[in-house]
Amino acid sequence: MFKLIAKPALMVILAASTWSNPLLASDLTDANEIVANANLTSYYAANDGRSEARMLIKDAQGREQKRQFTILRRDRSDGGEQDFLVVFSRPADVRNTVFLVAKKPGSDDDRWLYLPGLDLVKRISAGDKRTSFVGSHYFYEDVSGRGIAEDNHQLKETTEQYYIVENQPVDPKSAEFSRYTAWINKSTFLPEKIEYFDEGGELYRRVEVLASELVQGHETVTKSRVSDLRSGGQTTLEFRFQAYDLGMEQAVFSERSLRKPPREWLRRSR
Amino acid sequence: MGFKGWLVSLSMQKPKQVFLVIFALVVLAGLQIPSIKVDTDPENMLPHDQVDRLFHDEVKKRFSLYDMIVVGVVNTEHEQGIYNPQTLQDLHKLSSAVQVMDGVIRQDLMALNTVDNISQSPDQPGTIRFEWMMKTAPTTQVDAEQIKASVENLPLLKNTLVSGDGQAAGIYIPIESKSESYRLSKEIQLVIDELNSVSPASGNAFYMAGLPVAEDTFGVEMFIQMAISAPLAGLMIFVLMWVFFRSMLLITAPMLVAMAAVIITMGLLIGQGYTVHIMSSMIPIFLMPIAVVDSVHILSEFSDRYKPGEKPQSALRAVVGHLFTPMLYTSITSAVGFASLAFTPIPPVQIFGLHVAFGILLAFALTVTLVPAYIVSLSPKRLAALKDHSLSEDADQSGKLGRLLSATGRFSIAKSKGLVVMFVAVSAVSIYGLTTIQINDNPVRWFKEDHRLRVADKVMNSHFSGTYDAFLVLDRTGLEDEKESLLAQLVMQAKQGEGSSIKTQLETLLASVQDDDGAWLQKLAFALDDLAYEDTANEMQWMALLETVEQAQTDSKYFLTPHALAYLDDLQRYLNESDLVGKSNSLVTLLKTVYRELQGGDSSQYKLPANSAAAAQTILSFQSSHRPDDLWHMVTPDYNSTALWLQLKSGDNQDMSQVIQLVDEYVANHPLPENVEMNWAGLTYINVVWQEQMVSGMLSSLTSAFFMVLVMMLVLFRSIKIGFLAMLPLTVTILFIYGVIGFVGKDYDMPIAVLSALTLGLSVDFAIHFLERCRAIYRDTGDWPATVDEVYKGPARAISRNAVVVAVGFTPLLFAPLVPYITVGFFLAMIMAVSAVVTVVLLPAVINGIKNKDQLFTVSAADVKEEKEHV
Repeated sequence: MFKLIAKPALMVILAASTWSNPLLASDLTDANEIVANANLTSYYAANDGRSEARMLIKDAQGREQKRQFTILRRDRSDGGEQDFLVVFSRPADVRNTVFLVAKKPGSDDDRWLYLPGLDLVKRISAGDKRTSFVGSHYFYEDVSGRGIAEDNHQLKETTEQYYIVENQPVDPKSAEFSRYTAWINKSTFLPEKIEYFDEGGELYRRVEVLASELVQGHETVTKSRVSDLRSGGQTTLEFRFQAYDLGMEQAVFSERSLRKPPREWLRRSR
Repeated sequence: MGFKGWLVSLSMQKPKQVFLVIFALVVLAGLQIPSIKVDTDPENMLPHDQVDRLFHDEVKKRFSLYDMIVVGVVNTEHEQGIYNPQTLQDLHKLSSAVQVMDGVIRQDLMALNTVDNISQSPDQPGTIRFEWMMKTAPTTQVDAEQIKASVENLPLLKNTLVSGDGQAAGIYIPIESKSESYRLSKEIQLVIDELNSVSPASGNAFYMAGLPVAEDTFGVEMFIQMAISAPLAGLMIFVLMWVFFRSMLLITAPMLVAMAAVIITMGLLIGQGYTVHIMSSMIPIFLMPIAVVDSVHILSEFSDRYKPGEKPQSALRAVVGHLFTPMLYTSITSAVGFASLAFTPIPPVQIFGLHVAFGILLAFALTVTLVPAYIVSLSPKRLAALKDHSLSEDADQSGKLGRLLSATGRFSIAKSKGLVVMFVAVSAVSIYGLTTIQINDNPVRWFKEDHRLRVADKVMNSHFSGTYDAFLVLDRTGLEDEKESLLAQLVMQAKQGEGSSIKTQLETLLASVQDDDGAWLQKLAFALDDLAYEDTANEMQWMALLETVEQAQTDSKYFLTPHALAYLDDLQRYLNESDLVGKSNSLVTLLKTVYRELQGGDSSQYKLPANSAAAAQTILSFQSSHRPDDLWHMVTPDYNSTALWLQLKSGDNQDMSQVIQLVDEYVANHPLPENVEMNWAGLTYINVVWQEQMVSGMLSSLTSAFFMVLVMMLVLFRSIKIGFLAMLPLTVTILFIYGVIGFVGKDYDMPIAVLSALTLGLSVDFAIHFLERCRAIYRDTGDWPATVDEVYKGPARAISRNAVVVAVGFTPLLFAPLVPYITVGFFLAMIMAVSAVVTVVLLPAVINGIKNKDQLFTVSAADVKEEKEHV
């Protein structure tokens, strides 16, 4: 039924857009495919990777907080399950605090937390992934990736540089936004800008890629920013010392690593 | 005749021009009035640069605190109170609707549906869970009670978001500006009405409270009040004068004077860009009765002297010449009374006082110009008609008032000793009453008890821990010194290592980061980290420096250290034990709650983390919630300033003062840690500050007005004895009135404070008229009993009549819906009555006791001559 109606409609759109914006033969037209590619580029580059992040949280008054942590990642399958280990190194009073996440698209992630000051390993209920990541304006989901099946995607426009994809949550109650628009780079498939709109259609949050570079053949974000347009606060993340295909084993992401972070992978290579 | 003669001649010769000039002034002033700006913010009782106010503003900014409207949902019908699907659904709808309203700080709105629940996961033991408390409203009673269990487990929410008895839930709505709160309250009311109409049987009652709504609503009602009370006061005076004089012709002139004085004064105030505050909104009501009194004097005298058929000019000249000085003096003394309010440190009161003073002098000027111009413009026929309304003070001797006054005169002479003793006794008792005066104010009490805001205030505070906020702010001081010593230490450390390259590099680095106030340690740590990586040769040295910096960084987060937290904890516990404090929230409450949940949720774990790192990590865990920024309402990101939020059930200054005293006592017994400073902020505290300033300010204003009036009396009467006599009635009146206030337990609030200076200026008028006439008559008769007899025929009656005019002029205030107006109306009427009685009863009794009356009344030959000119 949908197809019958959609096809002529699509033809019209195609015809119309040919006029204004010549569609390249290589351009993708399937929003799901575009989003799937973007997801792979953003979160599944190579089989594993490490990255050192410096986070600068700035509130509306310009007061700053800095954090530094290392992220280790290993994919179990491309676009599927993967593990993350986030180890804090700065400020000193949260050093060796560790987050361990076993991401399971389509079901609940497993999340653990280790607090060295309390010598406590704690499991965190999966529940909502749209909570703040360590007090920043990033959400957990921004760091580990939002399941692509959680939204309905629609290609709104294809420009010279971007696929502009509009996304609406399948379950509107699962998220605080009513929709978000992603500007996905046509050649790198990095979502360079994502804007979130509330139930009133008002833009309230923006995620941007500020810089990226090619690392071992993978287009890699080196600087990004989230702006909370309601409060006026923003968080900038800078990634350094990135490396892929290090050959990390699954054991690196075991609960044992919480109390004993795997030094060999956390150390910077010179 | 000089200036006054010239003025009167001018008015009589060019009445049209006089009318035109005054008319032009009225139009010019009237044009300013539409740009009126009403201001009811009690914060503005303090100057913008007042130190407590600056700190309050700074604290609001520092902790991202906003003025709040509090909406309460109360359900006393359901056995689980608000914890039932219907109420929670309504609350959810209301809160969601409010969230998107213009002017609401959405991300800081606090309601069950916008806050997080930190708890143990019920299905996975040992798992901590951060989730929305009520993302969607429950549909079953079981779910509703689940929310109840969650709320009661969280000390930050319990008794703040939902009352301890479970019967009331609150929505705390932070707003961008207080001046939006009336509009917002109307919009919120619409949603509430809608909810009520959709589910009328829900058993829900909605209330709105919070100082901003009270203030803004007061402003709106004040505006309406001004539009009603002032014209009503005009009407009352008009009617009263009609009763006294029964002549439209006669009444027109005083009414014109009053209206012109009011319009020009208000136009001047508004035109200068001043906002109209509670006090200044009463200016028209103050001015009108005062403005008519002088013109009544002129008209009365004129109709006595004027002989029909004559030109009115000569009679007018004589009347004005004769009344000019006493009228000038009574106007100046009244003006001085009001102008003395400029000595209070409260800008709205200063503006009020100065403008009323101006208005009184203006009314005098208008009286001596407009009234003569008015009279000469009347046709001879009308002038003759004027004569028919005999206004002579002696004419109506058989009237009730006349008989009463004559009896009073005889009485006060016959029982003079007893009367003096009685007044001394009354004054003594009054002084005692005065010492029992309760100094107290609360802007919510500016509304009558049955006003919906007062009702809401009462209901909400009976369920909740309190809707009045005060903040106790603790600051770590001496940060600069610490910075200096750390910088020195780092340079020393760099010197100790071999090679000087690192030292120069370090000094460059230190110079580049140290300008950054809050974040310099963070910056330095990151830079050292980079250097350690880049400068392989000196890695160890850089790492050593980094370690020093990181240690300093950890130590610098003062309010994460165990001893700072312990002090805060003890202080909070002490405050919570007091009945005055409904509840307190602080960083300690947050830390303990999160720590407990991290440790498995058992109540025995409700305690502070053992060290700074544990505290920092507990906070990091909290920051993984939906509302991490709530932390910054309690502590600054550098952890060097923290705010203890006290919820008080009463906004009375008295209660707030007791809380302050409580804290002072605690700090005296448990000194603050070294380098820690404590200060108050919050609207409830600010109210205390301006009230204290007002009390001391009023004292100096009253004292200065007293002495200025005394000096004027000495100059006017050129007699020390008479000068002091003139001060007697007002002294007794002020003592009496404030004694009564003390005895009946009426709180000494802003309107009451302002009254003291007014009493002085207004009640001295009676004494001036009385003594002036006494002296003149005594000089004529040389006989005291005859003088008394004469005085009670004439001046006493004028005094009584004026007292009635002024007192009645203020009575429309009694019908006002706002308490300060009623207070002012009631006490002004009382002041008029008391001071009139005191003047006509006490003065003759005291004079009777003075042996040498010739010496008292007879001054020099020159004065006798001048007096003859006057009388």
